[in-house]
Amino acid sequence: MDDKTQQPTLSDTARVVAERVRSLRDYLELLDENGQYVAWPEPVMLEPDVREVAVAAGRDSMHGPAVMFDQIRGYPEKRLLIGAHGSFSNLALLLGHPKGTTIKALFHEIVGRWGSDTPLISRVSSSDAPIHENRVESDINLYDLLPLYRVNEYDGGFYIAKANVVSRDPEAPDDFDRQNVGIYRIQVHGPDLISILSVPSHDLGRQIMAAEAAGLPLKVAIMIGNHPAMCMFAATPIHYDESEFAYASQMMGSSLELTESGNGMDILAHSEMVIEAELLNNERVLEGPFGEFPGSYSGVRKVPSFRVTAVSHRDDPIFENIYIGKGWTEHDTLIGLNTSAPVYAQLKQSFPEVQAVNALYQHGLTAIISVKNRFAGFAKSVAMSALGTPHGLMYLKNLIMVDDDVDPFDLNQVMWALSTRTRASDIIVLPNMPMVIIDPAAEVPGKGHHLIIDATSFMPPDHVGADARIVTPPGGEQIDALAKRLQELRSGERS
Amino acid sequence: MTTCPRCERDKTRLEHEGSETGRTLWRVYHCLACAFTWRDTEPAASIDAKMRDRWFQVDPDDDGGFPYNIPPAL
Repeated sequence: MDDKTQQPTLSDTARVVAERVRSLRDYLELLDENGQYVAWPEPVMLEPDVREVAVAAGRDSMHGPAVMFDQIRGYPEKRLLIGAHGSFSNLALLLGHPKGTTIKALFHEIVGRWGSDTPLISRVSSSDAPIHENRVESDINLYDLLPLYRVNEYDGGFYIAKANVVSRDPEAPDDFDRQNVGIYRIQVHGPDLISILSVPSHDLGRQIMAAEAAGLPLKVAIMIGNHPAMCMFAATPIHYDESEFAYASQMMGSSLELTESGNGMDILAHSEMVIEAELLNNERVLEGPFGEFPGSYSGVRKVPSFRVTAVSHRDDPIFENIYIGKGWTEHDTLIGLNTSAPVYAQLKQSFPEVQAVNALYQHGLTAIISVKNRFAGFAKSVAMSALGTPHGLMYLKNLIMVDDDVDPFDLNQVMWALSTRTRASDIIVLPNMPMVIIDPAAEVPGKGHHLIIDATSFMPPDHVGADARIVTPPGGEQIDALAKRLQELRSGERS
Repeated sequence: MTTCPRCERDKTRLEHEGSETGRTLWRVYHCLACAFTWRDTEPAASIDAKMRDRWFQVDPDDDGGFPYNIPPAL
């Protein structure tokens, strides 16, 4: 914490929040104080009640609360949490902003934190770490430890869907920076048997293939109920040799407290539960289907399985899980801004004209990029470059390019640009490109067409639309004040 | 013997029971043939083979029908 020059510039409020929030429990207190936390008042059956409440909460992407279920039928004393990252107001509070902060402002807050290169990590001894308050090393029964349930009605089983999985490179097990933390869906196959879904291009997938090829053990630590920054930033695509712990701490602007799991991984000292497991080399189980972020089910596949070797948990642990499916869901809020920010940062290096990137929709399957147009066709070149970013390669399927006078997070403005600045000849279809394997629009899984729609204004030497003169509506603080006054007058009438 | 709602085989295992005041409220089963897991109190659309969308039914003997996401090294 000495070298402040390389730390992100945080507002005073953001700094206070960063210092205060050291765990999921701290975050829930913050949400509660700001009216963003609900303890569900009635007993629930895990199916279908949890998914129904989650879908209802997802209807309000701006203000949906975190919801705690602590009266679960058949699971006395157990606690289940959904929606901790379920709305932009929840994220705003974590980033030191008031509820209702615009998505564009949150995007720029995250972008402003980007680029810090000082990992803020502190160490807690295993004996002092709350995560090890309780330890189970024999007769492990995940059904006894967690209120497990089916997320969507045709899922193949019960899923742990918001855990952070820590794994070390089997060929360099002592290298902290090559330790991976990622969110992978986990299906429970028995009291001490799980599957973890990854693909060869994922960091964990690479590690599984390396371990099996060399006959090496691969151990993982699965963290459940984590510091909210960890869940937000573990899903950010960063390079293989960058540590997600370091990255999350940089983005949060405060120290993450790590301790060691029983099987030698670095884990968060304040997580609610950590499941330690070991890859069963070359063994596969049938996994899925699972309702995924495109809003459709994945198929049934043969997936690597892991034997649970031990579990640590805090007293009265919280099972933090997520509802995912046809949007809007917590998954969209959780990863949206952190999908957008790296694409922006990478593009900005070559094209400072890029103003903002909105990749909120289905992990960026549709994204909107605003750019200061320099000459005819310029935005198309920027779009091509976006397709070459690590995330863009597969995920950015439909790209809409808009001018810098359009807020890409305001879909009314985006539709205006599409309506008035798009010619059919400004559309580019790129056939047979790499695609996300679970995109139902793929020609074959993993391969399909990408689309660029240039909705930027016409620039020389293009003469089309040269006569259009844009109405400049009044803006700035004066209009902001008037909008606020209208809101107050409206509220006043109601009361 | 309990039959799996997804593959309709009888190779199932009782995983867990949920109870309240000493009375069993639900049971969780796992199918050893197709790896389906279910709670016996779930809505019929999930756990009644006759009510389930047939598209989601699984034939565990159709070995070619399930691709590897990561092929084993051996």
